[in-house]
Amino acid sequence: MQLLNTLLIGITAGSIYSLMAIAFVLVWRSTRVVNFAQAGMALLSTYFGYEAVSRLGSFWIALPVAMIGGALFAALVELVLMRLLVKHASSGPIAGVAPIIATLGLLGVIRSVISMIWGGQDLRIVAPISNNGFTINGSTLVFSPLKLLVLVVVVVLLILLSILFQKTNLGLALRASAHAPEIARLSGVRVDSVRTLGWALAGAAGAVAGLFQTVNGNGNFSPDSIDFSLLLVSGFIAAVIGGLDSLLGAVLGGLFLGISISFVLMYLSSGLFFIAPFVILLIVLFVRPQGIIGVKAGRRA
Amino acid sequence: MKALQRRTLLTATAVLATVGLAVTALPAQAAEVGVTSSQIKLGMTLPMTGTASLGYNKIPGAAKAYFDYLNANGGINGRKITLVVKDDRYVPTEAVAKTNELILKDKVMALLAPLGTANVKAVATSVNPARRGVPVLFVNTGFSGFADTKKYPTTYTVLPSYIMEAKIMGEYIKENFAGKKIGLLYQDDDFGIDALAGFKTAGVNFAVKVPYASGSQGAAAAAGWITKFKAAEADVVILFGVSSATSAMLGTAAQLSYRPQWMLGSVGGDATTIKLTGVPAGVLNGAIGFSPVPATTDMNDEYVKFFSDIYAKAVPGSAFDLNVLLGMNTAFMAAQALKAAGPNPTRKSLMAAIDSKGATFANSALVPAGYSKTSHVGLTGYWVGKYAVTGDLEPINKTYVTYTTDSGSGAVVKSTYKRPAMPAKGLPN
Amino acid sequence: MHKSKKQSTHLPLFILGGIVLVILSGFVDELRVYQGATIAVYVIAISSIILLTGYSGQVSLGHGALMAVGAYAAAVLRAEFNLPIILCFIAAVLAAAVGGTLLGAAAARLSGPYLAGTTLALAIGLPSLANQFPILGGEQGLAFDVGFPPLALGEDFTQYKWYFWIAALAALMSMWSVRNILNSAYGRSWRAGRGNEVAAQLAGINTARSKVLAFTISAGIAGLAGALLAMTIGTVSPSAFPLALSFSLLTGAVLSGISTLGGVIIGSVILVAIPEIADVVAHRLGSSESVTTNLPGLIVSGLLILTVLFVPNGPVEQHRARKAKHEAAHKSTKK
Repeated sequence: MQLLNTLLIGITAGSIYSLMAIAFVLVWRSTRVVNFAQAGMALLSTYFGYEAVSRLGSFWIALPVAMIGGALFAALVELVLMRLLVKHASSGPIAGVAPIIATLGLLGVIRSVISMIWGGQDLRIVAPISNNGFTINGSTLVFSPLKLLVLVVVVVLLILLSILFQKTNLGLALRASAHAPEIARLSGVRVDSVRTLGWALAGAAGAVAGLFQTVNGNGNFSPDSIDFSLLLVSGFIAAVIGGLDSLLGAVLGGLFLGISISFVLMYLSSGLFFIAPFVILLIVLFVRPQGIIGVKAGRRA
Repeated sequence: MKALQRRTLLTATAVLATVGLAVTALPAQAAEVGVTSSQIKLGMTLPMTGTASLGYNKIPGAAKAYFDYLNANGGINGRKITLVVKDDRYVPTEAVAKTNELILKDKVMALLAPLGTANVKAVATSVNPARRGVPVLFVNTGFSGFADTKKYPTTYTVLPSYIMEAKIMGEYIKENFAGKKIGLLYQDDDFGIDALAGFKTAGVNFAVKVPYASGSQGAAAAAGWITKFKAAEADVVILFGVSSATSAMLGTAAQLSYRPQWMLGSVGGDATTIKLTGVPAGVLNGAIGFSPVPATTDMNDEYVKFFSDIYAKAVPGSAFDLNVLLGMNTAFMAAQALKAAGPNPTRKSLMAAIDSKGATFANSALVPAGYSKTSHVGLTGYWVGKYAVTGDLEPINKTYVTYTTDSGSGAVVKSTYKRPAMPAKGLPN
Repeated sequence: MHKSKKQSTHLPLFILGGIVLVILSGFVDELRVYQGATIAVYVIAISSIILLTGYSGQVSLGHGALMAVGAYAAAVLRAEFNLPIILCFIAAVLAAAVGGTLLGAAAARLSGPYLAGTTLALAIGLPSLANQFPILGGEQGLAFDVGFPPLALGEDFTQYKWYFWIAALAALMSMWSVRNILNSAYGRSWRAGRGNEVAAQLAGINTARSKVLAFTISAGIAGLAGALLAMTIGTVSPSAFPLALSFSLLTGAVLSGISTLGGVIIGSVILVAIPEIADVVAHRLGSSESVTTNLPGLIVSGLLILTVLFVPNGPVEQHRARKAKHEAAHKSTKK
């Protein structure tokens, strides 16, 4: 029983990491940038969702509202911040670090502004369906209709996005704009618009992550809530474990991270909460430096 | 002869003039740092932002609410109390930097209720208020080490220590749950380690102990804790963590239909805070809780009524919870101490006042304070209650039964302390 | 054929700088002296980032953890064996350097974001490890006491001034060392590897080894900074090395100019001064409680974005670039 529950706990946590990891991978695949403000955007989208729930009363309406809000905000960031960044800081040693610093700064700005507008106290979003565990033979599983829903959403998103990237012209344009922007431009692809679209998709995915993360707990969130701080780091590590280039990798990475951490905490010690991701990441990258499904950087000779 | 006389006269005049200048240059009365004829400045450092700030960032508003009331009613001997608050985000380096600003730049008279064991320790070693003679009043942590007057000669605790709480819990368990399997959830830092020491002294044997890394207490972690407690078949589960841990635990337990006998430590046991996170009152009902001050929902208590009235006017819309009550109580005690320090308070007279009269300062606590010339220990115990159907902590059978003990090997005793009446209008007498 | 000019070590300049600092510290009030010590710590820590990221091109989000390793090494040796302070600091450097070698070996196979992710996980995981081992003091920390200033310096010599002298001396020594390392063959091989790894390998540089070396040296320097940080707050505890510290170091490096050592002092001063200035501004402008509490954070984060956008290579580099452009324009008109 304990074994089964440990597995289920890991899958639940992992599915939320996957959502976040998908957002990171989307940004990476379309603009080759790591967006540390991702969790901040997810947080902002959650606030959008909260406003929608308060006014319209339904989580199911609030979800698309948050996704659209998140997508628009992300697109705005790409248009304003990232374009400037590419113009000013794309050569020299600063190039690798600049997007990290800029998005970190953005994370801080988002948090502060949220605190100023909505205040620092906890707000609540109530879950749309039951979060009470399924019962089998009298004992309760650590798995509920809500947690099942999150898993389903992850899989659906994965399938939809994969179809987009692999089977549509838009997806081809997205991939081309990231790998070879000049050639793509010559082929007539509106590279800049396509990159913005990539960010918008990531913003929507982040919104889903933020909302489900919130209702999966007891529904509370605030600018300083622990869950969102953990979301940033866990999501990024999950994306790295999976290999930043692959959406499937993001999902696998998230699940792998969630399950491993769950087993470490259950059978070793729950005090190892923060050291476990590092060890897990190190082991994975030692065996496969490009992540589970990452693509090894070819020789550019 | 004449030359000698003139020289003597000149020298004498010069000497007299110098002495006269020196004497008139002396201020009419030696003023203390942070004290003017119209104002007394106190300083506070605590996390106002960041993950450790939840709940605690209400404390400054609470303290200021009381001080504003006090100032509107004459202050302390005509002086208004000003509280300067700095955000240290729970990082020791920032606590030191901000405390340096408070002492060296803002020039406060004393530090009030700094929060966090690691932070208070860093300030003690780096800023060294002891060497500077700066009083550190009513530290906001239960770490028992701060009562050591040799190491921290100007520091005064107020909260009962974690060791005291664990011992009292242990005593209650011995009286009521002998032979049952006990489980413990604790934060793996100062908090938890102090508590473990207390439980050891009380002779409690745990069937299962679950530590959690501070900062990891989300819903996912809680599911893991519950699975462990279930596997060990614990009858009684003690939650010795912060509010966010308690909420995560109780909320998740509700979803998993897990209902052991809960025992909540005072730090994470505030009913209002827990209920605001969505934990149903039904989950709290029947849990056992501890607190040194009256229940925050007990409107029959004169202090609770008085403080909540002031707070509702000062910070409308904000819930009156344990953080607020403790914050206002600490401000209240500080006011008493400043009043007892005399018409021209100095840092020395302030500390002397607490040493000699601190044990009799009026305050809302239902247990006595232990201040004396040899002890800087504040409150020394708790009352035991049960969370009612409403989810609020209430004394068992409507009567407060209090226990007191020390942070060493002293026994736990039922206390006969009768709290003196609140001074008129809630102003220090 | 030009004979390459041997770069002078500028040792007299550093010694002179030291003397100036000593004199200055006598005239400045205690608060500023303490901030001076903090600035010195940042100078050392940021220079380690410049070496690793600016020169060797490897991004580390976890230098806070390396600082923690140095700090704990120094603190444990002091607490358990009461070793003289200088040995504790040396131990800090060595312990962190060992950590850096291990990290560098792991990192040699990782590129850009993968390295960033690994160092990020390290930054979060390593400090919390201290709670697992009682000898490391747990969350309330270990005391790190460097002792009182020697009586020879006089009765009035404050503890903070003593911290400042130690930190400033360490900063001068480490800056001098870093500068010379960067100007040496090692520095050149790092720059080569950063620019084009394949070309560097063709030129005979063992890029993997050179990258590990960069990590080792950078970590050792960070370890020294960590031990000095512990000195200024008198304790080490996990909460003294939050993720925010690693981010601050990266921020400071960007503010200084990621590949110029010359701007380190500017970056460090900004890092220390901004929170205080932001506080003052917030109270001046602040209306409600929530605005005053959050305005400093907003100002710092906003400044970060603006700096990266408009002064990406740091003020020193910006100035040089402008001068070079100016000179080039002059030359072309002179024709």
